[in-house]
Amino acid sequence: MADMADFVLKEKKSDFNIDSNYASQSFWKEVRHRFFHKRSAVIGLIFIILIVVFAIIGPGMNDFDYASQELSQKNFAPRVPGLEGWSLFDGGETISTTTGSKTINQYEEKGLTDLYYWFGSDMYGRDIWTRCWSGARVSLIIAIAAALIDMIIGMSYGLISGFFGGAVDMVMQRILEIWNGIPRLVIVTLLLLILKPGMITIIFALMLTEWVGMSRISRAEMLKLKEQEFVLASRTLGAGSFFIIFKEVLPNIIGPIITQVMFSIPTAIFTEAFLSFVGLGIPVPQCSLGSLISDGYDCFTTHPYQIVPPIIIMALLMLSFNLLGDGLREAFDPKMKEM
Amino acid sequence: MKKYVLKRVLTSIFTLLAIVLVLFILMQLMPGSPFNDEKLSDDQRAVLYAKYGLDQPIVVQFGHYVVNMLKGDFGVSYNISKNTPISQLIQTRLPISINIGFFAVALGTLVGLILGLIAALKRDTFLDSLCTIISVIGVSVPSYVFALALSFTFGFKWRIFPMLYNSADALNSSVMPSVALSMFTMATIARFTRSEMIEVLGSEYMLFAESKGLSNHALIFKHALRNALIPIITVLAPLVVDLMTGSLVVEKIFAIPGVGSLLVNAIQSNDYNVVIALSFIYSALYIFIMLVVDILYGVIDPRIRLGKESN
Repeated sequence: MADMADFVLKEKKSDFNIDSNYASQSFWKEVRHRFFHKRSAVIGLIFIILIVVFAIIGPGMNDFDYASQELSQKNFAPRVPGLEGWSLFDGGETISTTTGSKTINQYEEKGLTDLYYWFGSDMYGRDIWTRCWSGARVSLIIAIAAALIDMIIGMSYGLISGFFGGAVDMVMQRILEIWNGIPRLVIVTLLLLILKPGMITIIFALMLTEWVGMSRISRAEMLKLKEQEFVLASRTLGAGSFFIIFKEVLPNIIGPIITQVMFSIPTAIFTEAFLSFVGLGIPVPQCSLGSLISDGYDCFTTHPYQIVPPIIIMALLMLSFNLLGDGLREAFDPKMKEM
Repeated sequence: MKKYVLKRVLTSIFTLLAIVLVLFILMQLMPGSPFNDEKLSDDQRAVLYAKYGLDQPIVVQFGHYVVNMLKGDFGVSYNISKNTPISQLIQTRLPISINIGFFAVALGTLVGLILGLIAALKRDTFLDSLCTIISVIGVSVPSYVFALALSFTFGFKWRIFPMLYNSADALNSSVMPSVALSMFTMATIARFTRSEMIEVLGSEYMLFAESKGLSNHALIFKHALRNALIPIITVLAPLVVDLMTGSLVVEKIFAIPGVGSLLVNAIQSNDYNVVIALSFIYSALYIFIMLVVDILYGVIDPRIRLGKESN
């Protein structure tokens, strides 16, 4: 036992970080560098770009449009030119009944061999490909509009509350606390009952509920920054409160704000989908990802292919925005904890 | 501490009152009336309005309303099941929803803790990536998608669990809804546990504990996990709320006779009283949970209390 040391060196390789010395770079260059080094964030970004591109050009890629019905061609299974050999896209579907299951191919039965519904057609004979991408377009518009409006409201509220402090802050924070105490679900459902359902209403409802998180973050950042020298310097030079808040402090907290916007987009998509599912969403014949899932749900045991594309698009979209948000958060503030 | 608790309780009460007011005002603005029947003459309608007190000034209606709410009397349902007291409607449904919600939270927390723990202990390995992927998917995919997937596979294809809720077989029927609801909780807890554990494991007192010669088991469970658990309590509150939202849709998918599906029905049939009552209950539950968590957090970690008071 003589050769055994009293102390064993602890090996914690992951804790030994070598300080990396970089030449001084501009803030944005560094952010970009860190962002593109995180693989998951880049993957998220690529998926978002892909989905956005398809949401723009997708509905125009074939001859169908999202509203026109062809009742003689309802519930056609997906069929893609060139991929007919693959059982997923050959236009046939297996229907199981009480007497057993049988495979039918409606395209061949009706002699419509020149017809291709890439994602199939729904119960009214509408092309699911077109509807999916116009639905993605609607969902994206709603989510991005809501997130941007939230950003403006929440940011201003938080910055003003944090900057002035004292009684203003006290009153504003109590109002916020009470507002935050009301479940979002309750606000949104009640609002949608009063107002006419539609895209604007949904954006409005999302706007009313989602700004709280944003205002918290901007207030906290403001509290951190307002005691710093550059604010004092600006004030000494005669800058007014408005100038200090929006021209001096705001550019310095843009990182956390952008990150928060990225996280509020999936929340908005989710809330919209939820509302559609409950029956308070976009009015027909327009569609969103949520209403497509809701439609597909009605026949998902007999025609599962109708519900799969919108679910995949929505899940990918939410996943990508979450990954992008994570990546941005780390890129802007590498010291920050993961949650 | 007392001051802090008192302040939180007062805020909660104000919030609740504000909610009742908001609910009341919103309800006044609602289009349509519960007596939309065209066969009713104006006189009959007036009689009905008088019967339900809808002809009185709004302030009086509101006053009555607050008093009744405090007594737990939410009035009667107009449409869903005519003239049944709402408290009675809710009484049978609330336990079902709470049961499923409770299972979901318990399951999600447990599995989330285990996943997060594995990920933190086996950091930067295949297991860690796997746990991270699971948790990112859990955060990104809405609970009703999980519900549909479960319902299609386990319910429809393999027939292991009933696709629709069956009160005679409540235990088996609750499995799929609870699992679907728990996914988000699980994913969030897993992510949070992982980052907390990694931080705690890297701290100096852990090194000290290890150099004292403590066993691995004692190290992880007595020293690390305990400290990592504290912040996890804070995420539980918002999670419970997300669970409430999720439960509406999941209850619809599995046809569970809970409060969520009641709310959806009430919304669709303009049943004012039921919507108000359920919104009130949801809000009260929410506020109560937030209050408990805040106070609990203050008790466990005095730094939070001080931090909040100094603001």
